[in-house]
Amino acid sequence: MEEFTVPIGPQHPALKEPISLRMTFDGEVVKHVDVRLGYNHRGMEKMAEERSYIQNLYLTERICGICSHSHTTCFAQGVEKLMEIEPPKRGLYIRTLVAEIERVHSHLLWLGVAGHEAGFDTFFMYTWRDREIVMDILESISGNRVHYAINTFGGVRRDISETQKQTILDSLSLLKQRTDYYANIGTTEPTFVARIKGVGKLSKELALSLCAVGPTVRASGIKSDVRKDDPYAVYNELPFEVCTADTGDVLGRVVVRVNELFECYKMIEFMLKNLPAGDIAVKAPRRVKENEVVSRYEAPRGENLHYIKSNGTDKPERLKVRAPTLANYPATVEMLKGCFIADIPLIFAAIDPCICCAERMVELVNDKNGEANIVSFSDLKKLASEQYKKCGNKPEPVSIAKQLEKIRRKS
Amino acid sequence: MNEEKIITTIKENLKDKVLEITNPSPRRIFLKVDKNNLCEAISTIKEKLGFTYLITITGLDKTDSFELLYHFADDTNVINIRVAISRENPIVSTVTGVIPGAILYEREIQDMFGIKVENIPDPRPLITPDDWPEGAYPLRKDWKYERPGETIPGGK
Amino acid sequence: MDILKTLLYLFVYPGLLFLLIYSTFCEWFDRKLYARFQNRMGPLHTGQSGILQPIADIIKLLFKEDIVPEKADKSIFSALPVFGLAIVCTAALYLPVWHYSTKVSFNSFPGDLIVVAFLLSLPTLIFFLAGWHSTNFFATIGAVRVLTMLFGYEVPLLLALLSPAILADSWRLSEIAAFYQANPFLLLANILGFCIAVITLQAKLERVPFDIPHAETEIVGGVFTEYSGKKLAFFRLLSDIEMVVGAGLIATVFMAGFPGGLWWGLLNFVIKTMIVIFLLSAMRAACSRIRIDQMVSFSWRYLAPLAVLQIFIIIILKGFLR
Repeated sequence: MEEFTVPIGPQHPALKEPISLRMTFDGEVVKHVDVRLGYNHRGMEKMAEERSYIQNLYLTERICGICSHSHTTCFAQGVEKLMEIEPPKRGLYIRTLVAEIERVHSHLLWLGVAGHEAGFDTFFMYTWRDREIVMDILESISGNRVHYAINTFGGVRRDISETQKQTILDSLSLLKQRTDYYANIGTTEPTFVARIKGVGKLSKELALSLCAVGPTVRASGIKSDVRKDDPYAVYNELPFEVCTADTGDVLGRVVVRVNELFECYKMIEFMLKNLPAGDIAVKAPRRVKENEVVSRYEAPRGENLHYIKSNGTDKPERLKVRAPTLANYPATVEMLKGCFIADIPLIFAAIDPCICCAERMVELVNDKNGEANIVSFSDLKKLASEQYKKCGNKPEPVSIAKQLEKIRRKS
Repeated sequence: MNEEKIITTIKENLKDKVLEITNPSPRRIFLKVDKNNLCEAISTIKEKLGFTYLITITGLDKTDSFELLYHFADDTNVINIRVAISRENPIVSTVTGVIPGAILYEREIQDMFGIKVENIPDPRPLITPDDWPEGAYPLRKDWKYERPGETIPGGK
Repeated sequence: MDILKTLLYLFVYPGLLFLLIYSTFCEWFDRKLYARFQNRMGPLHTGQSGILQPIADIIKLLFKEDIVPEKADKSIFSALPVFGLAIVCTAALYLPVWHYSTKVSFNSFPGDLIVVAFLLSLPTLIFFLAGWHSTNFFATIGAVRVLTMLFGYEVPLLLALLSPAILADSWRLSEIAAFYQANPFLLLANILGFCIAVITLQAKLERVPFDIPHAETEIVGGVFTEYSGKKLAFFRLLSDIEMVVGAGLIATVFMAGFPGGLWWGLLNFVIKTMIVIFLLSAMRAACSRIRIDQMVSFSWRYLAPLAVLQIFIIIILKGFLR
């Protein structure tokens, strides 16, 4: 069989968001991978330069739907440094609490996705059922299920009451029990383990030289975690271990994430039991002196970096966002080489890709003349069928226009 | 290793190639070098100090010139290597020889700022679409995006 | 009278009409079970507890736009679903459900076990041709995987079906069933074969963990990527009927058939096939999809030797019984 190139994406059932992976196959084996980004680009960095700091806080929240809190926290703690204010302890505790609950939600979601990519839909349904519990906790704390909007400059926006504490602790014990069960299934179910063991190997040296981050690099045996290395918020007071695995395959990444779940439960419990009294926020100024700051944050997928440069006004001069997924692409390309077609979705899912995180810059892809034009539906259809013909397939001429005409005539 | 030790090591190794080195906040070091000494600076901090992990490359448009920031991290500290690039001749040499994982960030810088990265192994655009106009670099300050007026199809 | 009976046999029971209704019911049963295993509700709204959902799905598909790829061979591409459906419906006629007697007739003769097994392996070839003629990359990969899998599961399945036939000393389904109705305890000797047959039937039906030829996260729709509308509806019906016929075959050979004439026979048929389908659904819920190479090595390393072992057990048992 000769080699042939196949586009996996921008639309493919294994990819939940658009990215183009152009793969060259030799039979069922992948020979070469080429990544092309930009399908989900929204111009956030450019937009941030034209918005005030408090507006940008809500803009950064929209970078990602799953780790929305991590981007706002990263941004907020950077801006707080620029403003030279220190949030009160209670505010920091609540901020960290939400961050860890978000990590639980993200890891449970990922476990389900991994199951689904391996064709293990039962696992997917079970973990996503329990993710609902986490979402409910987050809703009770912040009022929202996805974009929590709990952060503000100088603290958080909502307090936690005693009854809320108790309900969270109750749901936590249930979650712990269930996670035990998933840890058991994810690492022992024979058909599932057969699919993930030894797949997508990433050696320690390669992980280091390709600058991979998060659970991907921890599964290769490197103890890298911003929460420990560069402690922010209240992480220097919390009891937790950095979870690693030595196998460097997808199974290792499952193990790391499951162990991190248990660490999260430990931290959440500790934070709820030792929540200090006091204010939750201090007042923040509107204008920021000219300065620059590098803010780091360990998101569920790996390290976030926000570089913020201020210029003395109420708008930032530059906001640079580095999401963890972008850092993991070079490693993914290496992992995909030499794998089977059946392993592609698993390996790609194992870095927990969040394409909308990784791409943020230009607003609305515009035309050659620099303007976006409104395309009529018929033009769009013509374009689509031309594109389809180019690929070698042609739709049967069942005209939608004719059907519309029919409907119109009837009415 | 604490910040002072890192600063002295860098000064010892790079000597007069260090244009400026500051430590404005704990665990953050800003080092300024000339763009011709960039690779040397990076291999120094990589080999002598163990900074193997490039977090990202930030581009800055300072209207009269560009600036690139290479953020490096080890297990505690962050070194930000600052390089100034002239606006008339925006060229920088690649660091993929020292840090292979830098490739995507360099391609991003090429797309977004129009700073040409010399000897880059893969110079194709990464983010901008294939039919993106020549010379339009979205993150430059003089690039403005104007949202076209919306007309509702079929409306008045 | 005979002609009327034959027509009834062909078109009403256990022919076309019954098969269509019962297979959609089985799909509902399978879907509902699978959903309940996964802590979901499953079909709910169409009819009582969603029992009409599969029929509604098929009717919906019949009204959908029907697209044929330009490069595909139009006639073969369109004919394959119809052929496949006809083949599995024919296979159903040989199941000893009703209207069979000890004398040889068109639907019951020595060797019909082999005929049913042969007819049940033809849909696999239909799938292969469908994928190959779609000229789509994903469909082609699916087609190759269909054939690779066929070499994996076909031999263990035939060996497993063989052992009860050896014990009953007949190649005729109705005689095998009658033999075990007379000696129900001998069914226990075939337990191993029964397990192998259920696993290989799962592979034949291409369901989790053997849904490799149309693994949606890997190769989109597999062999059905380019199929839509009526043709896809036919393929879905084909899979449903294949499941019923496969379950019926296993019930005939390993569960003593369906004695009791028209009504008791029907009840027997429904209960026994539903037991088999229950096992298939449970297997589907408990496993994740395996890789094609793992599947082939699994069937040759474990299933085929175990099936041979089963035959040895039966031969030794037969020696004792004499």
